[in-house]
Amino acid sequence: MKKNAKVFPLLLLTPFVLTSCGQVKKYAEHLDDYVFTMKYHKNFNILQLTDIHWNINSSTYESEKYMDKVLAEANKHITATQGAGAKIDLVELTGDMFMLANAYHVDSFIKYFEKKSEEYGFKYASIWGNHDRHGMYNPNWIAERFAKAKNSLYYEPNDDLYGRSNFMINLTADGNKGSEVKWQISNLDSGASFSETALSPFRDYDYIRKDQTEWWISEYNKAVVNNQNLGGSDDIPGIAYYHIPQEENQKLYDEVQKNPTSHKNKFFKLEGFADNGNEKYASNFLDEAKQRNLKGAFMGHAHNVDWTVTWDDLVIGLGVKTGIELYYAHIDTKSEDPDMKKGLADTGITENFDLIGASLVTITDEESNIEGKFDLEHLYLNERKGGDFVAWVKY
Amino acid sequence: MGEILMKKFFSKDSFVLSSFGKAQRRQSLLVSIVLVVLFIFSALTFFNALYAFADFVGSIVSGSPDAAIRDITRSLPLILSCFMSIWGMLLFHALFRNVSDEKRIKSIKKNAIALLAFATVNFIAIIVMLIMGKFHSIVEGAPSPLYPLDSIIYSLIYVAIGVFALVYLKKLQEKIPYVVPSRGAVVSKFRGLYCTFMSFWMLIALFSTASFFLGLFIVDFVHGYLLYCIGLMLIFFVNMLFIGVWEFYYNELKEENKKAFLLPLAIAGLVVAIIAIVLYLVGLTTGLDGPSNAGFGVLPVAFAASVNIATLIVAFTPIIVSVVAVIRGLLLRKKK
Repeated sequence: MKKNAKVFPLLLLTPFVLTSCGQVKKYAEHLDDYVFTMKYHKNFNILQLTDIHWNINSSTYESEKYMDKVLAEANKHITATQGAGAKIDLVELTGDMFMLANAYHVDSFIKYFEKKSEEYGFKYASIWGNHDRHGMYNPNWIAERFAKAKNSLYYEPNDDLYGRSNFMINLTADGNKGSEVKWQISNLDSGASFSETALSPFRDYDYIRKDQTEWWISEYNKAVVNNQNLGGSDDIPGIAYYHIPQEENQKLYDEVQKNPTSHKNKFFKLEGFADNGNEKYASNFLDEAKQRNLKGAFMGHAHNVDWTVTWDDLVIGLGVKTGIELYYAHIDTKSEDPDMKKGLADTGITENFDLIGASLVTITDEESNIEGKFDLEHLYLNERKGGDFVAWVKY
Repeated sequence: MGEILMKKFFSKDSFVLSSFGKAQRRQSLLVSIVLVVLFIFSALTFFNALYAFADFVGSIVSGSPDAAIRDITRSLPLILSCFMSIWGMLLFHALFRNVSDEKRIKSIKKNAIALLAFATVNFIAIIVMLIMGKFHSIVEGAPSPLYPLDSIIYSLIYVAIGVFALVYLKKLQEKIPYVVPSRGAVVSKFRGLYCTFMSFWMLIALFSTASFFLGLFIVDFVHGYLLYCIGLMLIFFVNMLFIGVWEFYYNELKEENKKAFLLPLAIAGLVVAIIAIVLYLVGLTTGLDGPSNAGFGVLPVAFAASVNIATLIVAFTPIIVSVVAVIRGLLLRKKK
């Protein structure tokens, strides 16, 4: 009996001990595992949906209805501007798909995107936001669901790399791993939050860590070597998608405030970027990636911001929040707020609307001449009884 | 001395039921089982309500009161389901308050009427929202596949419980008197303060119970924050243990034993609470991003990721409860 009493607590701990002892993969030894491939073609369209925020209070029926309209509008716009046969190739879900949601929401969400990807012929990549971890489900379960879904691009190993999921989508000449890499689309987990000490009253937003930057560089270098072996380009352009803005957004915004013509910029900035804001935790990602031909960095997180800026030849911007969950900005043409006035002047919109919709990146390089060119457009779509409000604004 | 006390702690003679017959013991056991079931329902619905409320607060603090009101209106059935469950539990809990038959029946009536009111309001609210088109259909879905139909069914169950309590309980009382002595602490001094603390404690216990059981599925034990996760689960377990000891041990004791046992029980509780908190803080130190990466699903109050203090408040709840128990134990000893 006494023996049993000693064994029992150990038995209780067994599942925890067993589950925590899995082999930790060294990312540097498995760089290939982090790479998905898609076939590159001129006018490769990436639709960014961000901060959808399905939560316990959400009507998924209404939200799906709204996303139906966004996808249909994006598809219509693409075929109208690029010709029949053009389509959305990739949907980037840049975090906070959920917040305080449950397993039913996750299941419905994946079912919805599976259905739509079949309908429109796109793949979708999901990126962790800070709130995706805050639900009535185990984050590992979500990861498993996304990894198993047929049209989803998602990779989450038990590795030594910060974040739950970091992966690359290489756009190659023939869609296979061995062929020339034309563009690289990287998907990074910018984390959630942390406290500086155990007893700190506040938490700081997380940031892209140094090891993630190193991983990104390794993936870039590997693609460059691959191209060199094939006699292709050794200067591969790339776009990075993640959730939490890094310090550069604020720095560039400050520079623009001092000198409005210092950087090309456009769209709305109606709240802070909700970035880490602490020099001590500044990420080196954009600095390093910019030196390696990163052309675009797009994120979400701050719903009232879709402000986009060009830093040398790197475009950094927040996507347009998708849908009406949690919070979003009401754009008022009579507002005296200078940031709202500037956004309205930038976009040329002359009526009130809500800052919700999607963002579209179209990579315009010819297959045979990769120069790192792309177009960025923001879609504002509001459901209205007398006819929906739809506006496309080019950056 | 310690050995004698330990023997007394677990002696059958220390409990009120020892001096009563089989029928009364069976009656007490039945009510206890119903209470446990209703407590679990209350805990789960409270957790849902907390989620709904956290999102509501999120919209408010982000400057979107319109979204907050829209969302909380849609989730009204979730909030009311929580109230129904809690009042159903209070209704059965009132059976233990038999300072006098008159008082017990009054308390049952009061709680049954409140329960009926919540259930009826919920039922009507859903019908009105359906008519107004707030719900696309009776099985619109989210947060469950049958929402809001499941909430209507839940309301009807509680209407039935409320009606049963009002119509038949009084008759039942006349035929088979409920004679189990009072298990609830009856206080006259500082009653307001006592009731406030008990309500606060009940909510902590509901939250902790839901968090513990859901946490077994929600908390990510395998992502490198194992020590933190164990500390977090221990906090919830300790809170759950405290309410269990209070309800099914302490309140079963004879009055003279209550006075003698409270202080040692409270001190033991305080020691357990300190161990749990130390483990939690040590776990947190090993991974300061632990709460947001592994445990925020069970910490909806701290969802607004910039507020670490909320996670700390949750962590310190066992201390609050045990310190209050120690103070009460000391006061009782002083009276003696």
